[in-house]
Amino acid sequence: MDLISENLLTILILLPAFGGLAVLGHSLYWKDDGHLKWITLGFTVAAFLISLLLLSGTPGSNGYMFEKNIPWIQAIGTNYHVGVDGLSLWLVLLTTFIMPIAVLSSWHAVEKRPAAFYVFLLLLQSAMIGVFVSLDLLVFYLFFEASLVPMFFLIGIWGGENRIYATVKFFIFTAFGSLLMLVAIIALYYLHLQATGTGTFDLLTLLASLESGKLAFAAPVGTLLFLAFAISFAIKVPVFPFHTWLPDAHTEAPTAGSVILAAVLLKMGTYGLMRFNFPLFPEASRELAPIFIVLAIIGIIYGALVAMVQPDMKRLVAYSSVAHMGFVVLGMFSFTEWGMQGALYQMLNHGISTGALFLLVGFIYERRHTRAITEYGGISSVMPLYATFFVFTTMSSIGLPFLNGFVGEFLIMVGMWKSTILSITDSANWNYIATMFAGTGVIFAAVYLLWMVQRIFFGKLTNEKNRGLKDLTYREIGLMVPLLFLMVYMGVYPKPFLERSRDTVVAIQERVMRQAGGTVDHDEHTAKAE
Amino acid sequence: MQLADPNVNLTIILPEIIIAVAGVVVMLYDCFFPRNRVLTGAVSLIGIGLAGAALAWIWSGAGGVPVTAWGGMVTHDNLRLGFTTVFLLVSALTILISTVWVEQEDVAAGEFHALLLFATFGMMLMAVGNDMVVIFLGLETLSIATYVMAGLRKGDLRSNESSMKYFVLGSLASAFLLYGIALVYGATGSTNITEIAAKIADPNFPALLLVGAAMLIVGFGFKIAAVPFHVWTPDVYEGAPATITGFMATGPKAAAFASFTRVFVIGFPFIAGAEAAGYLHQAWITVMAVIAILTMTVGNIAAIMQNNVKRMLAFSSISHAGYTLVGLIGAGFAATTAARDEAVAAVAFYMLTYAVTTLGAFALITLLAQRNDRRAEFNDFNGIGTRSPVLAFTMALFMLSLLGMPLTAGFIGKVLVFRPALEAGNTLLTVVVVAAVLNTAISAYYYLRLIVVMFFKERTTSWTAPQIPAAVTAAIIITVLGVFYLGIFGNGLIEKFSRSVTVAEAQVK
Repeated sequence: MDLISENLLTILILLPAFGGLAVLGHSLYWKDDGHLKWITLGFTVAAFLISLLLLSGTPGSNGYMFEKNIPWIQAIGTNYHVGVDGLSLWLVLLTTFIMPIAVLSSWHAVEKRPAAFYVFLLLLQSAMIGVFVSLDLLVFYLFFEASLVPMFFLIGIWGGENRIYATVKFFIFTAFGSLLMLVAIIALYYLHLQATGTGTFDLLTLLASLESGKLAFAAPVGTLLFLAFAISFAIKVPVFPFHTWLPDAHTEAPTAGSVILAAVLLKMGTYGLMRFNFPLFPEASRELAPIFIVLAIIGIIYGALVAMVQPDMKRLVAYSSVAHMGFVVLGMFSFTEWGMQGALYQMLNHGISTGALFLLVGFIYERRHTRAITEYGGISSVMPLYATFFVFTTMSSIGLPFLNGFVGEFLIMVGMWKSTILSITDSANWNYIATMFAGTGVIFAAVYLLWMVQRIFFGKLTNEKNRGLKDLTYREIGLMVPLLFLMVYMGVYPKPFLERSRDTVVAIQERVMRQAGGTVDHDEHTAKAE
Repeated sequence: MQLADPNVNLTIILPEIIIAVAGVVVMLYDCFFPRNRVLTGAVSLIGIGLAGAALAWIWSGAGGVPVTAWGGMVTHDNLRLGFTTVFLLVSALTILISTVWVEQEDVAAGEFHALLLFATFGMMLMAVGNDMVVIFLGLETLSIATYVMAGLRKGDLRSNESSMKYFVLGSLASAFLLYGIALVYGATGSTNITEIAAKIADPNFPALLLVGAAMLIVGFGFKIAAVPFHVWTPDVYEGAPATITGFMATGPKAAAFASFTRVFVIGFPFIAGAEAAGYLHQAWITVMAVIAILTMTVGNIAAIMQNNVKRMLAFSSISHAGYTLVGLIGAGFAATTAARDEAVAAVAFYMLTYAVTTLGAFALITLLAQRNDRRAEFNDFNGIGTRSPVLAFTMALFMLSLLGMPLTAGFIGKVLVFRPALEAGNTLLTVVVVAAVLNTAISAYYYLRLIVVMFFKERTTSWTAPQIPAAVTAAIIITVLGVFYLGIFGNGLIEKFSRSVTVAEAQVK
């Protein structure tokens, strides 16, 4: 038991990769593709069950659980240092939770080269977990880049018509950003070397040196480093105007790919901002916060407006992602406990709700092979259960009270309202205006999602082709139920989630705001739903 | 004048001797019993293996090898160790890969193996030589063997053109180099690198030194295919048989880098307070920085526009010369000897990662393109991901390593060469590194393009999966393992490459 808990994170990273090897070996040896999905499902479920052990951990003195730190390439000075805290815990669980669902979602959809498909899915899972648990900058970068390759293939081989354009665009956008980050990472190593005599890629060591004042950034250096990291993450989130790869990638990706992309890959960007940008460069974070807030608001409104006019269901959901991730960025840059907790919570919500929406679009696409909204209409009469699930998920995405989306958006709005980051003087504070603009995004979300629901499900059944549509199968129901359950649970009782992340988030927030001489407002309790 | 003790030491050049002897044996054997390609190949491999063992033996310090010998003409340091490893590996892999080509096209294998061993001998001289004369000897031995190898496909016009072009332009470059050596000799009164390094603080004719250094940059720049001395590369690489192209893109390039590093980083160091040396140092660093940026950018942009995979890899090899130059410049800026050794090791390690990856890629191209490299266009690779998945995934791996994806050799190589340049904290060098990184992003396009055509496009024409001879399988397995090994467990090797073996250290052992 000790051996397991000591190496829990390593096991979580390696287990899916071994699963990939198993799938590969099985398909090469038996030449039979029938069992592959079962093997994949087995490994992802096992990974999920093992990841639940993370909840049993107690943070060590530095706030991290299940920490492991062993030298890796000493010539470069990098260590294999992993650990989870309140920030990464939920994201790791989100990853392991969504993977079995993604596997099940493509149960019958993958006809072309199934072995390769499952291998890539499993490798992707390894990389994603690696991203969330790395505490060494170089190891983080490594997983961050490694997650690109499986996705590149998933979209490129199993994607839609325009897949090659979409996947190359996805790869080049993201790789460009992360290379900038690599320069910043190496620069940090040398800045630390110059300041203290030892170079390091270790996040905690860097933070400690910053804390003790041994390491400090000269005026433009801190800002440049911040930007190198932030642009890389902003592309991943994506923050307007770096979002253009997202609709293409989402639309062309197979259902499982879209679900993972929305649920987990986008979170790497927002996670990176919170994990690296804020603690490492608190000053630059404060200085540049207004820019990011403005971009986030543009993203919210622009994403919503563009979503409204999309004729393709999947593209519509993709643009709604731009808007929703805008909320997350807004909450983070408010630098209040409410806003940042809300941002983290909204990351999980978005993963669940938007993931569910992509699944639902995938269900109907498998039946009719079209995603054009105009092809549908009135299908609630032939697919009542599907319609129910769809409307439910839409409500969660819009942010109906007692569903998860509401909690996140509410916390973010309150956080922005209380934020002092936009105050130029005491009297002129732009935070109210920012909140107001962001608030319109909620209304827009209701407009485009409900309008889509109305056009697809209600009215008369106009298209004869839709008359014979079958309602959801047991497999599809089984996939949706855990997601729907979480939507309700997280909407009604967010306390256990927020409690776990609170210490970490508050520590980051204090770090950013402390040196500003600004107020570090301690809210009594962020769990507001009784 | 008293004659100095020439310090004759055969142990220090044992690997070189073994390779030369193996070359002679293969050549003689081929004279009397021609056309036994298995035997000559085996003898060559054994020779390379023995040379490797000898290198490892003196590396361990067991032979009690001095730092310099033969009157200071050869030296035993980490630069020599690192680069010689690269050369031996390149030759061994080239022999393994060449089996398919030799069989398909009925090439005179004995000649080829002998030439390859002599070329290897030349490369090893270039790394071990601590004197401009030895370096030049090595370079010429290497070049003449390579000129012939490029034209081995006698009936093919493109191969002839390739050989001729390489010969004419290569001779021109050698002339530049020789002129540079003469001028530096005129300025410093020595051809010995160590003595030059001591003398540049107060040279006889500072102007001659600068002109000489410029000539040397032209000469070496040609050999490593740096922009603007690169124009020969695409034609020569495309025309030569793929196996030879793979060799030329890795071996001679690494050898040129070995001497380039030796002459500039060790021969023209920065000496505090010395005006002439400082001026020279600043001049060559600036020139090389400009060359590095040009090389990376031109190589990458030209690579994007290619439709032939061999030509694409030719331009990619140009851009990789640019990345390696970044490491060389970083080594030139190193503040301490230890830092310099580390940076030199980084350059050698980069060449190793690049060689392993590129040779693997060329092995696959030799297999896939088939006789006379007829099918080396991008279109010819359409959809082979489904037909020959193992080969296609291996090719994809090599492309990702060339691109520098983490967990592959290419990534560690890139980090290592960019590091010393960033460490300098100099604005120019930081600009160079940023340019290198942006170029890496550009390069994603054409490396991915091959993956895209292999996996995402449908094949319209018929495809017969190639037969893979055992030797090529071995080469591919070695390169694949190498890509992962260097990418994940490269630590031990980097440390060995960075460590200067000194007599004192050897005696302690």
